[in-house]
Amino acid sequence: MKFDSQTYRLTDKGRFGSITLIVGIIGLILSCVGWFTDSQQFYFSYLTAFVFWLTIALGGLFFVLLHHLVGAKWSIVIRRFGESIMMVIPLMAILFIPLLFGLHELYLWMNSEVVASDHLLQGKSGYLNLNFFVVRAVLYFVIWTVLAFLLNKYSLQQNQNPSPEQIKKFRIISAPGMILFAVTLTFASFDWLMSLDAHWFSTIFGVYIFSGSFLSLLCVVTLVVIRLQSNGVLKEAITKEHYHDLGKLMFAFIIFWGYMAFSQYFLIWYGNIPEETIWFLHRWEGSWKSVSMLIVYGHFVIPFFVLFPQVTKRNKAVMTVMSIWILVMHWVDIYWLVMPTLHHHGYHLSWIDLATFIGIGGLFLHLFWRIFTAHPLVPVGDPNLEQSIKIVS
Amino acid sequence: MNNNSIKTVGIMAQFSNPGELMKAAEKLRDSGYSKFDCHSPFPIHGMDKAMGLSSSSLGWVVGLAAIIGTTGALGLQWWTSTIDYPLVISGKPLFSFQAYVPITFAVGVLLSGVAALIGMLALNGLPRWNHPVFNSDKFEKVTDDAFFISIEAEDPKFHTDETIQFFESIGGTNCELLQENQ
Amino acid sequence: MNKPAENIAVSSEDVPLITGGQTFSSITEKIVGIIEQKTPKTWYLAIGASLSLLMVLMGSVGFLVWEGTGIWGLNNPVGWGWAIINFVWWVGIGHAGTLISAILFLLRQKWRTSINRFAEAMTLFAVSCALIFPGIHVGRIWIAYYMFPIPNQMDIWPNFRSPLLWDVFAVGTYFAVSFLFWYTGLIPDLGTLRDRAQTRIKKIIFGILAIGWRGGNRQWRHYERAYLILAGISTPLVLSVHSVVSTDFAVSILPGWHTTIFPPYFVAGAIFSGFAMVMTLSIIARKIFNLDHLITLNHLEKINKIMLLTGMMVGYAYSIEFFIAWYSGNIYEQFVFINRAFGNYAWAYWIMISCNVVVPQLFWFKKLRRSIPIMFIASILINIGMWFERFVIVVTSLSRDFLPANWDYFSPTMWDILTFVGSFGLFFTLFLLFIRVLPMISMTEVKGVLPEADPHHSTGESHE
Repeated sequence: MKFDSQTYRLTDKGRFGSITLIVGIIGLILSCVGWFTDSQQFYFSYLTAFVFWLTIALGGLFFVLLHHLVGAKWSIVIRRFGESIMMVIPLMAILFIPLLFGLHELYLWMNSEVVASDHLLQGKSGYLNLNFFVVRAVLYFVIWTVLAFLLNKYSLQQNQNPSPEQIKKFRIISAPGMILFAVTLTFASFDWLMSLDAHWFSTIFGVYIFSGSFLSLLCVVTLVVIRLQSNGVLKEAITKEHYHDLGKLMFAFIIFWGYMAFSQYFLIWYGNIPEETIWFLHRWEGSWKSVSMLIVYGHFVIPFFVLFPQVTKRNKAVMTVMSIWILVMHWVDIYWLVMPTLHHHGYHLSWIDLATFIGIGGLFLHLFWRIFTAHPLVPVGDPNLEQSIKIVS
Repeated sequence: MNNNSIKTVGIMAQFSNPGELMKAAEKLRDSGYSKFDCHSPFPIHGMDKAMGLSSSSLGWVVGLAAIIGTTGALGLQWWTSTIDYPLVISGKPLFSFQAYVPITFAVGVLLSGVAALIGMLALNGLPRWNHPVFNSDKFEKVTDDAFFISIEAEDPKFHTDETIQFFESIGGTNCELLQENQ
Repeated sequence: MNKPAENIAVSSEDVPLITGGQTFSSITEKIVGIIEQKTPKTWYLAIGASLSLLMVLMGSVGFLVWEGTGIWGLNNPVGWGWAIINFVWWVGIGHAGTLISAILFLLRQKWRTSINRFAEAMTLFAVSCALIFPGIHVGRIWIAYYMFPIPNQMDIWPNFRSPLLWDVFAVGTYFAVSFLFWYTGLIPDLGTLRDRAQTRIKKIIFGILAIGWRGGNRQWRHYERAYLILAGISTPLVLSVHSVVSTDFAVSILPGWHTTIFPPYFVAGAIFSGFAMVMTLSIIARKIFNLDHLITLNHLEKINKIMLLTGMMVGYAYSIEFFIAWYSGNIYEQFVFINRAFGNYAWAYWIMISCNVVVPQLFWFKKLRRSIPIMFIASILINIGMWFERFVIVVTSLSRDFLPANWDYFSPTMWDILTFVGSFGLFFTLFLLFIRVLPMISMTEVKGVLPEADPHHSTGESHE
């Protein structure tokens, strides 16, 4: 990997792009094999992997929206990371298509004979029906793609020809964009995850998914930054202070996630109404109990104590380990949301889980890398870039 | 008390702005002074480094208080509801840790907050209402817009005339002796 | 290669925080001047009015203690009426203070320095008002100590699994930590008051309160750490307090109360109403004391943006609750929400929606965001709306629950209203006393954000 610190461009992009592409294609081929061997397992594994990567892409979109909305300065040097990650959303829209073939296996409410014998589902059929489901999915992806494209377009324009116009545009897009983002993310999480158990409902569910989404985005950005710097890229632009800020945000969102997860669990536990507790009971059955405990400790307790002191947030090794760990936990979290619908009595890991994960992930990272390296790695046209580099916390 | 027992406990000089103060602090640090302090109406970013001070150890005090607070609160709730007077309420287990989270958290925060203030005062040697620097009339402006450096006589490098000269060489004005009745 | 354009003023952050060519000493003069000047006549008028209202509060509480909670409009099934509404409303208002001092501090939002001190004071006074209501709601207030972890005459401990007890701990801790935070921030300013005091009594009082502050960097070092730690622990605290308050409702099984989004939804609402109150007070304060250069239009605009944001969050919660009520398929849940919007309390519901969701939409427009009359009216409307939000939650859910035979309409009595109105007396009395005797803006922190405070400003490549 070679880096030109004058133009902030990679002159030699290394082999990351080709490796991820090959891994991704192999993963997808294996996934196809998986579909032939056990289509139901395939769809559930695919949904898990898809949601995992999609939440990261949406985290990227949120990061950019937030950045523009508050006019943040410290995050300017890492803005291109968020922008490149959000630009993967169109790919995710394409990768959503396979799920459409498995809707009947994934969602019980898609089957008319089930609905015919279920009074509750009949009541929900105005929302939970195939056509509306697809229309909504299309709508979500259109909104996300348009937002991502617009923000990216003006960002590239700013590189070429910086003017206050773009900053105005960023603001004008971001404010309503944030509202659209909140609404679409919420309903997407209701549609794709919550309706796996269509009897169950929780008003905080969308916020819960959001918290995990942004947290994992932070981990991905941290990992990419550390990896790049160990190859001598962006060594001057991104300083310890930026790590520290990323670490602080990560810590804050660990707490935020814990707060949302606890609120959901705690109120349902205390209210003790069977139609709500059943969801947690499913996740307390057999070996699912260990997964639940793993999430409590792995997704909250351990990262909380590790990231608590100041020194760990400024330590690259700790941040690397912690980012990978939290990403794994994010996957476990999604797995824990999706899989009890298929495997009722305990978790049951399948090789298809891995195949779909690396399949989607490979393509995701490949596209990210292509978009990211096609342009200067930092927004060179941003008038506050200097300030962002020099920031001291 | 008579005049004979007046003792010089330090020297104080005034500086014109935060930048001068910081430069002077760096020079004092480099020339080996250790028992000096820079007085300003607001905290100045980077002064700890300029004076060669380590960072505050208050975090440990507060951390300890937080541990005592949370374990104490959890312990109280556990003991009262499972040992001292067990009562089944709303069909939940006696030790329903979920329901004990809010109070455990609140007490932990309460003790940490108290420890933060008291610990800060203790580390600063406060309250201390009487101090030689207050004997200077000019020092009243330190809480308004003036900047001072004071050096204690206990500093091994302290020498009345040399220190005054040194102060003047680094831009200090209005040097004066800080004195105290014995 | 592209060079960043140098002189694009990108955002309002690039505009100086403090205007009017202030120096360190002019800030001192300005802020201490408010206290040192002769008491303005308007202050006497205001304190007179506040004290009258305080008498109203004392009278109505006195009568309540004499007669019992029967004087209120409570009925069966509405056993929680205005007292709990007022409690939640006042606690909510209190949230902005700590948010400004703690969260904005951690986010390095320097503009907070002009408003944090009196926002913190507002927190303390709002929480004091809030604490009155559960205190008097117990009816026999002489056994209010039942709320503390002391075994009673039968050796039974209070129920640690009850959200009402969590309230005692959460709000009590909130008050205590907010007080510590406020006092910590005050110490250097109390030093200023001590050094400027003209009379011996003032010198002694401020001297004691300033506990010998010398402004040495050896002190600042621990002081800044203490401030950071207090900000750090106040941040989760401020989020937890209203979450705990929300559990008063959410751990029950009553439709409209039992829903998982309640904790973050209550927190967002609290911040929303708190900022509205900060806005109301700062507009009044800057008008009376000519603080336009310290609390600038930029400060107010930022508050408006936060109100817009939190208003949207509250609107999000309203919508999601409504949707999930339908989606749940639970007929009780569905009924409660239809009843809220179109039932016998629809008027309250639509006041809530118009004030909390519609009014903040004005702030999409920069012109309106920077118009003092608009923001003043909007901030008052928002506080009315937030009161009605709690009214809607408490009263609609209780007055028509599972069993139609139990339904009843709640109307307040004169005493409900007088107690609530009287609580403003306490709030404003404390607030007016505060702005008369203590610096209402943190001099230390405002000086710290002046460009001159940066040690690199006055040296090096300076062009002065």
